[in-house]
Amino acid sequence: MSNGATPAKMSANPFDIFVIGARKGFNIAINNLVPNILMAYAVAEILKLLGVMEFLGTLFGPAMTVFGLPGEAVTVILTAWLSSSASVGLAANMAANGILDATHITILMPCFFLLGAQLQYMGRLLGVADVPKKYWPLLMSASLLNALCAMLIMNYIFV
Amino acid sequence: MEKENKNLTNFEAEEWRVGPKAFVSLVVAILFFSGMLTGIADMKWLSAFDYSTLAGKFGTMKTLGKDTFVGAGGIGARAGFLFALSLVPSVMLAIGCLEVLSYYGAIKAAHKLLTPLLRPLLGVPGLTGLALITDLQSTDAGAALTKELYDQELITKKELTIIGAWQYSGAGLINNYFAIGSALFSYLTVPLLLPFALMFVFKFVGAIYVRFILNTFYKEDFKNE
Repeated sequence: MSNGATPAKMSANPFDIFVIGARKGFNIAINNLVPNILMAYAVAEILKLLGVMEFLGTLFGPAMTVFGLPGEAVTVILTAWLSSSASVGLAANMAANGILDATHITILMPCFFLLGAQLQYMGRLLGVADVPKKYWPLLMSASLLNALCAMLIMNYIFV
Repeated sequence: MEKENKNLTNFEAEEWRVGPKAFVSLVVAILFFSGMLTGIADMKWLSAFDYSTLAGKFGTMKTLGKDTFVGAGGIGARAGFLFALSLVPSVMLAIGCLEVLSYYGAIKAAHKLLTPLLRPLLGVPGLTGLALITDLQSTDAGAALTKELYDQELITKKELTIIGAWQYSGAGLINNYFAIGSALFSYLTVPLLLPFALMFVFKFVGAIYVRFILNTFYKEDFKNE
């Protein structure tokens, strides 16, 4: 094993590097996934008890058929805009309850990330990189277009 | 000066003022934890604002030999917690492997392949490739690199906006997909890499769309660049 070109601090042993990555993965899972999915499950319960899920389902039913999705899926798409992990959690919850099936999840998959966490990334990305505020709506429309087109492609070509 | 003082006292008073919002939230807190909102026969929906209803219940072993520790039929926060815990191993494995692969230069190779595409597709210089590639792994690091490019006057405002568009949609794609998306991998009816590749392509599509709008609709803004 060559360790000539590597920085002194970092081990060149692939097993050690894997462990560093696995530790990062653990932190992401515990600090990000667990709180977000717990919240998504609680919110899903609220929406279900209040009948919002059913209401949105009938309201957006026709529009969602274009993407090959049931109307309820609109809640997942709206949530994606706020947080990728919350929307993934919500989708997992709906899949466990039989509202979404494997095909629906596959169609939705690109949307979680192309539209994902736009609200958060406004600050973390556009703000930090100093993209002029004037163009933020344009960038948001681009993300929305990306997500919608990607779902169409998933629906009509791949599944 | 006088005005400033006035603002200061206002600010202090603000902290101690108990407005209607505070009382409403106290009432909500009491109702939420009291358990009074559950079990009202005609208004079952009220239980949506009840703590123990939202806490839910863990799933149970309905089918022996099939259910995992997550169980079946769980609801609310308890079910969400166990489900999220069940994802930890696959996330650790994915991020661990990514770490090893990027150590051996997978990201550098991607950078090399990407660079010649940037000028024709996005109209940005090849040196922005690193900021773009970094964004695939970390939103924050990618954003910082982009800002640096602009501060050093290596890119113009227009190029900055186009790069921002590429980074914004699907930010942190690799890590987010394998860390968060892995929760749903078991449902996928297509190969795992297909949605990933599609999203990667769409990052370009979105940026090209933004480039086009900037070159037409906002043409006047960039006359001097």
